Amino acid sequence: MVMAEKEIKVGIGDMKFARGDNVVITYALGSCIGITFYDPLIKLGGLLHVMLPARVDPNDPKVFKYADSGIRETLRKLTAFGLVKSRTVVKIAGGAKMFEMKGSGNADFGNIGVRNATMVKRVLMDERLRIAAEDIGGSYARTMLINVSNGDVIIRTVGKPEKHL
Amino acid sequence: MRLKKYEDMNLQELDVMKEISSIGTSHAATALSKLLQKEIRISIPEINILGYEETVDRLGYIEELVTATLVRMSNQINGLMLFVFKMDLANAVLGKLIGKEYESFEELDELAYSALEEVGNIIICSYVNAFTQLVGVEIDLSVPSSTVNMLGGVLTVPMAEYGYVTDKLMYINAEFIVDGKKLSDGLLMLPDIESLNRILEKLGVS
Repeated sequence: MVMAEKEIKVGIGDMKFARGDNVVITYALGSCIGITFYDPLIKLGGLLHVMLPARVDPNDPKVFKYADSGIRETLRKLTAFGLVKSRTVVKIAGGAKMFEMKGSGNADFGNIGVRNATMVKRVLMDERLRIAAEDIGGSYARTMLINVSNGDVIIRTVGKPEKHL
Repeated sequence: MRLKKYEDMNLQELDVMKEISSIGTSHAATALSKLLQKEIRISIPEINILGYEETVDRLGYIEELVTATLVRMSNQINGLMLFVFKMDLANAVLGKLIGKEYESFEELDELAYSALEEVGNIIICSYVNAFTQLVGVEIDLSVPSSTVNMLGGVLTVPMAEYGYVTDKLMYINAEFIVDGKKLSDGLLMLPDIESLNRILEKLGVS
């Protein structure tokens, strides 16, 4: 792993961003999705960790918990700090199905990862952002980090070598 | 008053849940004790209603590899039961059942994995059986499903399942003491809010 000055941790349903010599990291994405936004020109990078597809209650203050409101709010914030959408590199990871449930009535269970991924892709498309790389699905948790000094995104899983997205 | 969130439970309601958990956990320990043919003591369970990160911290650390068994509850109570094995408890079980211990969950073979799933299922079922008798509700249980995964990832499953209602998890924590050694266990009973209200009503506390 690339050593950096500082590691900024993003919790579940949260977003953090940084500039320069920093690493922004989120641990153990299960069915949740991690989305990195990076503007290489100004070396500004953000990492959003969403848990659910859509914000149903418009008064819910936890905007970063949901894919739709989370992506929009992240873009609003990062744009205010100089991010330009046309330069932005977006990468996504997560959306796993942690448990395979057998038996009737359980078919839908655990599909939240798929629903999250679908929504994330839809909202990014609405925002005219292309996904440069993705590591989605499977049945395992992922730790995702972005090195803001060069935009490198790394995925860590148990029992596999680190993967550069 | 009907509860809207786990954390709305008052002290009396928490006490009642704790009492029931205590009986459920002792049934689970008895089942485990029969399986391991060892005396098992349990500490008095605590009911914790915690956020995601606090729950992770109580159980271990976020990237820690664990084996977890999940069973879904339906009928009069809807929700999830989750049992999390850490390496120490897993080895106590596997050493006795298949005569082999493992360095880490990454080395688990099919046999060891099935053994853990079955033990997780037995613990969950004995807990739920005691619970249904005590509360007087009918609960159907699904077939168990297990995973070897990061603790943080496992706990996102109930978080996402109830994410539209609450950001908290109800975590029942008791220690199994085998051969004088405290073994951490992580049993999570996660009724949905409607079911929690039904439980408390049945017990006459709400």
